Amino acid sequence: MDFSVVNRVLPRKPSSNSLGLRGSYADPIRNIDWILLSAVIAQVIIGLFTVFSATRQRLLDQNMDVFVYVQRQVFFVIIAAAVMAVVMSLGHDWLRAQSGFLYGGVLLLLIMVLGAGAVTGGARLAFDFGPFSVQPAELAKPVLLILVSSYLSESVPDKIDWHHFVMTLYIVLIPCGLILMQPDLGSASVILAGVAGVLYIGNARRRYLALIGGMFVATALGLMVAVPSLRYQGDRFVAWFLQNSNNKNLEKIVLQVRYAKRAVSTGGFFGKGYLHGPLTNGKYVPVQFTDFPFSAIGEQFGMIGGAVVLGIFGVILWRIWRTAQMARDRFSFFLASGAFTMVVWQVFQNIGMTLGVTPVSGLPLPFISYGGSHLISSAILIGLVQSIHMRRL
Amino acid sequence: MPPNNQSRRLLSLGIVALVLMGTLTARMWFLQAVKAETNEQIVLSVRTRTIRLYPERGRIFDVKGRVVADNKRVLTATIDRQVIRDPEDRLLMFQRLSGPLQISVEGLFKRYEDKRFGPLEALPLKEDISEETAQFLVERSEDYPGIYIREDWKRNYPFGAIGSHVIGYMGAILEKNLAYYRSIGYDPNERVGGYGVEQSYETILRGTPGYVRYEVNAQGKLLRLEERVEPIVGNDIVLSVDMEMQQFAEQALETQLAMRRRVEAGIIKLEDGTPDPAHPEPMYYKAPAGSVVMVNQDNGQVLAMASYPRFDSRWFTAGVSTEKFAQVFPKSDDPDLSILVNRAVSGRYNLGSSFKPFVAYAALDAGQLPGGAEYKYQDLGSYKLESIPNGRCQDGVKCVFRNAICASTGSPCQYGPVNVESALAVSSDAFFYKIGEQILTERGYQPILENEVRKFGFGSPTNIDLPYEYAGTIPNKALKKRMADIGAISKESGKAYYVGDQILFSIGQGLLSATPIQVASAYGVLGNGGNVMQPHVVKAVLAPGTPDIKPGVADISFMNIPGSSQVVERFDDEAPTNTLDMTGDRRDPIVRGLQRVIRGPGVNFGSYHKTTGELLFRGYPYAELPIAGKTGTAQGLGNLPWNDSSAFGAFSLSPRSEYKYSAFAYLEKSGYGSQAAAPVVKCMYVALAGKYRFDPINAADPLNTNSSLAAQPTYLRNPSCLVSGRSESRD
Repeated sequence: MDFSVVNRVLPRKPSSNSLGLRGSYADPIRNIDWILLSAVIAQVIIGLFTVFSATRQRLLDQNMDVFVYVQRQVFFVIIAAAVMAVVMSLGHDWLRAQSGFLYGGVLLLLIMVLGAGAVTGGARLAFDFGPFSVQPAELAKPVLLILVSSYLSESVPDKIDWHHFVMTLYIVLIPCGLILMQPDLGSASVILAGVAGVLYIGNARRRYLALIGGMFVATALGLMVAVPSLRYQGDRFVAWFLQNSNNKNLEKIVLQVRYAKRAVSTGGFFGKGYLHGPLTNGKYVPVQFTDFPFSAIGEQFGMIGGAVVLGIFGVILWRIWRTAQMARDRFSFFLASGAFTMVVWQVFQNIGMTLGVTPVSGLPLPFISYGGSHLISSAILIGLVQSIHMRRL
Repeated sequence: MPPNNQSRRLLSLGIVALVLMGTLTARMWFLQAVKAETNEQIVLSVRTRTIRLYPERGRIFDVKGRVVADNKRVLTATIDRQVIRDPEDRLLMFQRLSGPLQISVEGLFKRYEDKRFGPLEALPLKEDISEETAQFLVERSEDYPGIYIREDWKRNYPFGAIGSHVIGYMGAILEKNLAYYRSIGYDPNERVGGYGVEQSYETILRGTPGYVRYEVNAQGKLLRLEERVEPIVGNDIVLSVDMEMQQFAEQALETQLAMRRRVEAGIIKLEDGTPDPAHPEPMYYKAPAGSVVMVNQDNGQVLAMASYPRFDSRWFTAGVSTEKFAQVFPKSDDPDLSILVNRAVSGRYNLGSSFKPFVAYAALDAGQLPGGAEYKYQDLGSYKLESIPNGRCQDGVKCVFRNAICASTGSPCQYGPVNVESALAVSSDAFFYKIGEQILTERGYQPILENEVRKFGFGSPTNIDLPYEYAGTIPNKALKKRMADIGAISKESGKAYYVGDQILFSIGQGLLSATPIQVASAYGVLGNGGNVMQPHVVKAVLAPGTPDIKPGVADISFMNIPGSSQVVERFDDEAPTNTLDMTGDRRDPIVRGLQRVIRGPGVNFGSYHKTTGELLFRGYPYAELPIAGKTGTAQGLGNLPWNDSSAFGAFSLSPRSEYKYSAFAYLEKSGYGSQAAAPVVKCMYVALAGKYRFDPINAADPLNTNSSLAAQPTYLRNPSCLVSGRSESRD
């Protein structure tokens, strides 16, 4: 189908505030996906409560204000909301026009963080600004998705040709390589999930997908073997296979996952009740509020709480998928599909590692985990999806 | 709308997403529905710490209320093993703890690796820390996570070595008993009674442990108290033993043994009168060990029970090194040296002539003697078996058994016509040889003698409330077979029970063996007129928490109130376990004979033959406390004089209840019955009659852990009661 025809038949106003167009069914403001927005807001609120419960005891023990992390998270949410509003109002087409510039900026930041980033746990992931830190890898997720969607949408109709595929590899591999050097296997995998989603939707040959997947795995494995500081990432895989191992080297990872699983498990059907989770209160799961929030939800709210959270993610994914289906043009279609696979991957990977289904990685749980960078990154993704939804007609 | 092909791909992407979300849901369901119960149990054990609260062990008092086993409250610093799982954390923690606890870091590591401390229990770092140290650690719980100060009790024995064989000591649970103690709810690290009353009344003394359960965080820090169940203090116990008498018995025994070691046992002469070249040097008595018991003959309550060598119970709680302990309590195959044996209940002793009263009873009760007590036998120094034809005697079968040698003549004593009474008084072997043979051969080889002496309790345990009691043995066919099977006697000898065995049996030699408590009880049966009482070293089990009159003395005046609720169980009013027929002329001739052992007269045959105790008991306050007794000399290895062990049993003839005690002493390799054992028993009765001023019972000096003696020696201040007259015969 030729999208240009549609565009000519239904001219679209970028703004609806004048000329009596307000009220038109094509008015973007009237086409906000309120269900998606409500679902995201619900997850964010659940996230705030989860972060509070997972940090309260630790702060109490340190004689600090118990609301420190929640206050910061509220602050992040406000910023993320603003960013989302900006993305929605400017629209994904505008961002598409800036994607080359944004890509350059992200590359610069990724290079800078390798030199000037704060070291946490042997990795340089973020710029440190006192109470806040900024992770460039999180910003790279939506930016790369826009650029790749944009570039591939210019490929020959109905399929991805070899030339576009190879160019996409170049576009992706440079920032991914930089992210792997941090090292942040998780963020790189999210980008890859998005790009793979776009390629798949773009009707790329399956061998292209196999190639890009294979390259990623080979690179990751090669780096793990070659660079000693990346061994820890490898240990996470080993620990995933040997979840009952008593090996001293794996002990920390094994215990972390074991307690996360136990926390979820002991929640049972109804949960232990809010702020009454013994393992959460006992600080048994390291970095619970950033990496294992689902264990706190599972312990305190049980299967009911877990099902609600999974259900809301289901709603979010359904709305993104529906938006992709309704997308006006090829770029929008690619963009929404890429956002879909990114969110699916992050949710599956994060909750999966909490339940011992997938290996441990530093991926946050979208909308729920504590952290500004990933909230903003997720807000941009949702903003893009909303923009596609708003401007689908 | 996207093109068809792409739309199809979007659909499959959605399906993939559904599958992934479905996977998570299924996994979540599995964890929360299927595994929830299991994990709940695991988490409960992980996130809580249960710390046992040990009850104060019941105290032990002597019959007068003196506290002989007490408890001291001690604080023990323990650390949660979770906190020191990581080797780096462990090192850091030990370095930090080394100062306040005043143990080297190496010492702490040694404890960490010590297998005695179970892997599931908090690791005890140091016992008996001061209140200040405990306070210091508790106040800085942030710096010392996982530290818990446990309140323990340490057993204390104020009188040290006095009565230690009876009281016992505390020790770790032995490997072989672990399963048993586990099954009744003990912790493998618990200390339990390892000997004496501490062992036999372990579960009564122990009380019921309580516990505290704390919620802890991942760092092992105690968050809050979940539950506290207070321990229940153990029951107190009153011994039947009087510490004054006990101390006296130990002093008399040790003094006598020490004196016997300075006595020459004599030189062996060959038949031509020249000294035996195999033993050219005069030998001294070794007198390595011995035992004396005094039991209430009416109710079986043990007044004193001494065993030598002694030990101090405090060695077991002194915390000395294994090497030091092995030095104090050396492992040895020589039974003479074993310290941790209460010879009064575990000694396997030949009784010699001290067994004769029971053979006499057997003969009288079975009607073996024509004319009973009046029956006379002409003792001319030897007895020739009547049941074996002369022909076989000439073929080398031993048919002639002789009396002991009389010092005055140098040949077997000849006592002339003796009846039961006088045969006992002078200890005529020939008389008893005859009884022994005839009670077998004239009764169709039935085990009548065995059955008769079994009535007194020989051959089976008395069931005294002390561990490791030996049952004793009575010679019979089964025993001989068993002995031959284990190689103690020759296969040839093990084939049958011969008349020769019976002859030895009838004078308390051969395969007969008994423990001092058995013999003392058996003498008690003669004394009380036929009632077999089960001996007890414990008078009563009391309710927990008996108050003190003054430090070191408990108020047990309620013992005299019948049916006092503070007395849980008492053992001094038990019914006899068996009753013997002592009517007619069954008992009286024996009592008269044993009285003559003490007071004389002996018999006139050729010359005057004194009884075995006549000289010794001269000056004994017989009017105050009349007694009857019998000496015995058990022949030892090679029938050499220095291997003779000395035995003496006695009972009271006094009608006064405070004097109704039987006694038995056995001094190994110390000489004739009248030389070594009889003086000790005599002293016991002199003291019982109030004719000896006891040393005060004082709390023992602190245990000297530099010493290599298991117990400091203890001697009679005034040993005059031991002074012995000469005796003419080896009996």
